[in-house]
Amino acid sequence: MRALRRAWIRLTGTLAWRFPAERRRLLLAFSRAEQGSALDMLAAVRSTQRRDLRLKYFRHAMDEWRHSGLFRRAASQQGVIDATESGRDEAGLLLEHGIVGGRTLFERMGELDFLAFVYVAESDAVEQFDVYRTNDLPDEHTRGVLPAILKDEAFHVSYSRQELLRTQDGDLPVERLAAVRRVRRNRIKEGWLRFSRDIGVVVGSVWLWALYALVVGPFRMVARLDKGGFQPASLDARPLLDQARSEA
Amino acid sequence: MPTYILGISALYHDAAATLLRDGVVVAASQEERFTRLKHDASLPVRAVDFCLEQAGIAIQDVDWLVFYEKPLRKFERILSTAVATFPRSWRTFPRQMHAWLGDKLWLRTKLVETFGVRPDRLMFCDHHRSHAASALLASPHANAAILVADGVGEWATTSLWRGGGDAPGLHPLGEVRWPHSLGLVYSAITAHLGFAVNEGEYKVMGMAAFGRPTLRDRFDRLATFDADGGFSLDLDYFSWHWHPTRSATSKLEALLGPPRLPGTPFAPPGSGLDVPDAVMRESQRHADIAASCQVWLEDALLHIARGAKARTGADTLCLAGGVALNAVANHRLAAEGPFAHLWVQPAAGDAGGSLGAALWAWHCVLGNPRQERPFHITLGPRLDRGHTIDLLSDLGFPFEEVGNPTQRATDDLLDGKVLGWVEGASEWGPRSLGHRSILADPRGSGTARRVNQRVKFRESFRPFAPAILPDALSHFDLAEAEEALARYMLTAVPTRDGLSAAAPAVVHVDGTARLQVVDQDAHPAFHDLLSSFGQATGLPMLLNTSFNLKGEPPVCGAVDALATFTRSGIDVVYLDGVRVERPPKRLYPTLGEP
Repeated sequence: MRALRRAWIRLTGTLAWRFPAERRRLLLAFSRAEQGSALDMLAAVRSTQRRDLRLKYFRHAMDEWRHSGLFRRAASQQGVIDATESGRDEAGLLLEHGIVGGRTLFERMGELDFLAFVYVAESDAVEQFDVYRTNDLPDEHTRGVLPAILKDEAFHVSYSRQELLRTQDGDLPVERLAAVRRVRRNRIKEGWLRFSRDIGVVVGSVWLWALYALVVGPFRMVARLDKGGFQPASLDARPLLDQARSEA
Repeated sequence: MPTYILGISALYHDAAATLLRDGVVVAASQEERFTRLKHDASLPVRAVDFCLEQAGIAIQDVDWLVFYEKPLRKFERILSTAVATFPRSWRTFPRQMHAWLGDKLWLRTKLVETFGVRPDRLMFCDHHRSHAASALLASPHANAAILVADGVGEWATTSLWRGGGDAPGLHPLGEVRWPHSLGLVYSAITAHLGFAVNEGEYKVMGMAAFGRPTLRDRFDRLATFDADGGFSLDLDYFSWHWHPTRSATSKLEALLGPPRLPGTPFAPPGSGLDVPDAVMRESQRHADIAASCQVWLEDALLHIARGAKARTGADTLCLAGGVALNAVANHRLAAEGPFAHLWVQPAAGDAGGSLGAALWAWHCVLGNPRQERPFHITLGPRLDRGHTIDLLSDLGFPFEEVGNPTQRATDDLLDGKVLGWVEGASEWGPRSLGHRSILADPRGSGTARRVNQRVKFRESFRPFAPAILPDALSHFDLAEAEEALARYMLTAVPTRDGLSAAAPAVVHVDGTARLQVVDQDAHPAFHDLLSSFGQATGLPMLLNTSFNLKGEPPVCGAVDALATFTRSGIDVVYLDGVRVERPPKRLYPTLGEP
């Protein structure tokens, strides 16, 4: 399974690192992921009941922020990041980041599963970057920063594993193992959901374009943009409370 | 039983929540302060939790939840525009439909599900009406003309109102409708100058001071102004109504020259930076575009304000909408405009819509009279001292509970240290006014560059604001009409001779400063610090900038403050009187590494 995963990372990585635009997109995605991770770790500093973990979570957050900056600088080496890309970047962070929806990753998962998540996510990241590094896939600049990032990620894996073994929430080792399995399962499920959503967006867009061409198009003849200038405010005859309750 | 009204703004940018108890603001905050995502637009779950906690109530106790927009009217605009711009809108249409059909169109259900409020307890206020209410009903003025200018709400982009009369009402006088928008022109120029829209507008304002309005006449081709203050744009220059990511067409590029690439060095003559002549010339061209756009916007606002005066006869003009955060334009309105008094809602952007929507429901829908009370901006969360001490111990930061933090902070400032200052409740609106601030001695010639480059890691041309005691007002040409604006850092005024030598860090290249006059009632601890610094130096003035790093919202709680402190070049942080020094490298081995 591990060999298969490494082969997959190598295959997709080879394609992604070949083209400058794709490289930039990948590096920006890494930067965004690290930034989101930093926010999740800070949220964990606020919420954890285990005060002994605060320092480690905080240091982890600082590392992730640093990595985010390193990846962003590496992306800028691949060409100018225009305002549109930055905008997409922010929108992506909003869409994908765990905090959106009002509850942080830590709050949704709880102490044990959060630690298991950190362990699993960091282990996956180490593996991915290691495949890139050993196969000399990235550009020269990114190759230069990967060792420092890998060193930090190795620390993240080691502390989360250690703390996972020590955690009081799962008294039995089997519970801790179950948490790791649960997190892995959820990651696969979330990956599948993301893929399905992307497919859904493509299919939906095709339908919407058809709708646009066939239904919206003909009305073009009667539609006009506003001509500008001060227009009188439209009067609403409904009682005030009815107006206030209405969405229109 | 008191009446609770919860105002909410969300789903475009700057989501926020405001809670009123019998018409009095109990708490208000932007969602970004909790999620740490600048301009976070998601439904403000955290901000609502905070407001309810402040009041000690549950959502079931809230009588009305008021959303700051009419979603169906906005959807109508989006659909109509897609039809009217067919086939150019082919890229925009699927994107917008995905967003609306998937989410925004079902807002009523979403509000009920997310917040647990009863459907019959929901109200919806028009976007510009929310802004207008936030401007008039939070101000000390019972009668005024109200001008709202932003990108766009449902249909309106600029609207004029008359406030007051026999009831605390808002009477619409007229509106300029989409796609004719002053705010979006400024945003298009922001993008043309290589900055992110909805984020870089302040940078354009700062950049403008380095330029001359040499292209001002070209901006006249962008719009035609009517005698009543209305305007219409030449839409051939713009594409925001049909393109998903670009605001302007090639015609604007032909008019103003090629756009500036993001990240291009900006070093016009006078910036003090050592760069090749070609970079200097190009920077000057960019600065001239910014200056021309700035003057054009000011002229446009003056024109509209004169129209407003003619139609209302009012002595006071209240402003809201994102455009009202343009401090340079506000000064010109005060200095050259027809109104004796100006008042700008400190959270003039969309966040302020939550306040306005709630105030509108209380006064205009439920018919409650106005009450005279000052508007304070300290409406956000406070630190918990016990929690702060525990946190500092756990994270290994060296700290000290100082007996006289004012004196100790003054000593630190006199030592040339840059301070992070967290005190009391956090501020409402985008400005840090001494509660979540970075402070420094303004007298050093290298301070501004140091704070920009080594503390906040942002562009070296960005100016800093002076926070002062009223005693230091003699250094500034503050017009009577803008006195209220200076309390909230909402006007940029000329400084008098000598200040640029005495406090160079807070005087911009054009000799102006975005002033904050600190009064004791609203900011007692910050006032004390300024007094102490003034006694030591003879100049009761500090450099005051928001406690954040580039691209992040101002800090809110202790964890955010420490995270920002650790990553910045701030020397010392005060957390409600607890003095904190930088953490040791043995605990954070990568500290200071690139």
